[in-house]
Amino acid sequence: MKLNVSDLSFSFDSSKVLKNISFETAEGEFLGLMGPNGSGKTTLLRCLTRYLPARAGAILVDMKPLHTMTDREVASTFAVVPQSSSTDFPFTAKDVVLMGRIPHMQSRLSSSRREDADKALAAMTVSGCAHLANRSFSELSGGERQRVVIARALAQEPKALLLDEPTVYLDISGQLEMMDLVAKLNREESLTIIAVLHDINLAARYCDRIALLNQGKLEVLGPPNDVLRPEVILTVYGVDVTVRKDPLTHDVFVMPRSPTVLSTKIGRRIHVLCGGGSGGPIMRALVDGGYSVSVGVLNVLDSDYESATDLRVPIIAEVPFAQISDDMHAENLKRIDETPIVVVTHFPVGPGNFRNLEAAMYALKAGKRVYILTGGGGARIDFVGGKADAFIGDLVDAGAVKIKSVTDMMHIIGE
Amino acid sequence: MSGIGKVAANSRIRRSPVRFLCLLAVLLLATFFLAIFIGAKGPIGSDDIDEMRYSELFDAILDKDSERLSYSTTAIVWAFRIPRVLLAGLVGASLACAGTAMQAVFRNPMADPFIIGVSSGAAIGASSAGLIGLTVVVGSFTKPMLAFACAIVTVFFVYRMGTIRGKVQVETLLLSGVAVAAFLGAIVSFLMYSAGQQFHELLLWLLGSFAEPRWSYVWMMLFPALAGVIIIFLYGRELNALLLGEETAHNLGANPETLKKLMLAVAAFVTAGAVAFTGIIGFVGLIVPHMMRILVGADHRVLVPAATLFGASFLIWADSIARTILPGEELPVGVITAMCGGPFFLYLLRRSRTGSVIS
Repeated sequence: MKLNVSDLSFSFDSSKVLKNISFETAEGEFLGLMGPNGSGKTTLLRCLTRYLPARAGAILVDMKPLHTMTDREVASTFAVVPQSSSTDFPFTAKDVVLMGRIPHMQSRLSSSRREDADKALAAMTVSGCAHLANRSFSELSGGERQRVVIARALAQEPKALLLDEPTVYLDISGQLEMMDLVAKLNREESLTIIAVLHDINLAARYCDRIALLNQGKLEVLGPPNDVLRPEVILTVYGVDVTVRKDPLTHDVFVMPRSPTVLSTKIGRRIHVLCGGGSGGPIMRALVDGGYSVSVGVLNVLDSDYESATDLRVPIIAEVPFAQISDDMHAENLKRIDETPIVVVTHFPVGPGNFRNLEAAMYALKAGKRVYILTGGGGARIDFVGGKADAFIGDLVDAGAVKIKSVTDMMHIIGE
Repeated sequence: MSGIGKVAANSRIRRSPVRFLCLLAVLLLATFFLAIFIGAKGPIGSDDIDEMRYSELFDAILDKDSERLSYSTTAIVWAFRIPRVLLAGLVGASLACAGTAMQAVFRNPMADPFIIGVSSGAAIGASSAGLIGLTVVVGSFTKPMLAFACAIVTVFFVYRMGTIRGKVQVETLLLSGVAVAAFLGAIVSFLMYSAGQQFHELLLWLLGSFAEPRWSYVWMMLFPALAGVIIIFLYGRELNALLLGEETAHNLGANPETLKKLMLAVAAFVTAGAVAFTGIIGFVGLIVPHMMRILVGADHRVLVPAATLFGASFLIWADSIARTILPGEELPVGVITAMCGGPFFLYLLRRSRTGSVIS
């Protein structure tokens, strides 16, 4: 099925919920609809099913205008799977699936019950719930009920499946089973899928394209890699995120960092000496706390380098796998000169980055406050034969303060 | 909502619903013939030594104009018992069927056919007809006609109250129905208070009674009852879908607005007809759909015929008891429906909830 939506608008009373939405879907596409609460995703689905009347614009199904179709034609074009379904009345699972045959009812008097029953059973087999046929619908688990509802949707023999947050009430295995089932239907039955999804990572993993709605407007539409970029998510959701690629699938995934937009800068400067992934939490805490953070000498490809990049912290960087060069060391010391506080994290020390400890000594001599994050008190990861541990001892003698945790550190720096 | 929905239905009946419906039809037929033999003049339930014999009754049923029988026997059978049994059956079927439809429209197993003001409207009509003395002046049809008209007007008013921008809001409708019923109920109470000697007659009507059966009532009930049952049955699939919510019904191609309006109109019409002729017989429209739902499940293509057939049998039995249980006197049938139906319903409810799960 090919769907064309052009210039679609919808408003409740005076408030505009959908503003000039235009998009197309290709045959057999898996389209994710995303956006913050109240951005109009569900309303868009309801316009497609005609549960809400579109105020302006056109919706074409295989070039046929939606508004010229009968209720039953619409129901055999789009089948809907809602967030959850429940009833107080004693229907069996099979009763619920048979409801999907209503759009194909020939006449009220004829009873093609045999054919309906066969199609219902086939649908239940496809969605993996045939064994539940005679169970009471209200006694099924959330995941089982969603399977039954998918079977009902299949019994409608639709051209597209519209899902409205189908995994919201399911546990993690239920979510994956549900999405795998939908993906299988998309692949094997070549059903077009339009799914409202809240979980960005689930969407990135399953959707061909993602449409991101924001305040009733279509913000972006494209493959997950194009849509799920930190700056896009910051504008639409107001959340700062880190976007990475799953090393096993190369699907993008998104990690939220702070629930709010960056807090106002306090502006106090702090320099962090770190490496080997030890600096992430303190850098994040300092950035969230509004400090003006810089970080010193890191090799490109070090995971702290990536964290610092994500946090948009200025980095004094050395080429990958190389020793800290004289130039970069000098740069580091210059930065320390401009900074009243230096934090040394619990980083692994080897010949390549020993100069970061020397930089800390330089800071102490220059009268800066130096804090050493001990990372729970374990021994320093010393790859230089005890030299590093001894040097730390010297730093403490020279006035550096040892602090156990990031929380304590933030507390002390804040005073 | 009550938790009755969680009750799993009886598995054997659910596997062969057609056989169960046939059983109910046979039960109704048997009930119909048996009930003709029940009455104060015998042969069953007689309090008179000079009772009718079975053979006489058989003859009377088979041959209306038989010359071997006394005039009184044929008169009792043909002018009294048969129309009475038919009327009870029609009213029972109408109320049970309308109740089933209302419970689906309101998605609430506590709904009954009177929920949108039919009974209170009819009560106003009937009591004013009785009190003003119109019955005497204009004729015996005045009371049912006035009751019917007032019932329809009340339903229309409640419907208008519960409709916002052309859409029927189920919750608003329910509350409007309750409020209007309370208001009209107060007026009826006031009328009864000032009714004096007609108080007893009015009370009898309010509790429902088949004490004045007429063939004309039977004929007038027949068409609306049949039409109503058939329409509700034909929309069984859509009613199923409606129980999963209006949006789901819409998504399944069943237009919920049209469906709700049609069902409300049909149920109101059928119920108003029943109430007009026989008074307010409670319990049948509420409990019979429940009982059948426990037995056959919620699929309206089975539930509607089951409730209709059983509703008819149930009310015929209730009326048979009502007219024989006290020697020389008749009880209002509403008293019997509640007295017999209540415990039986509780029994079914307990049994189905303690040993549930459909296998």
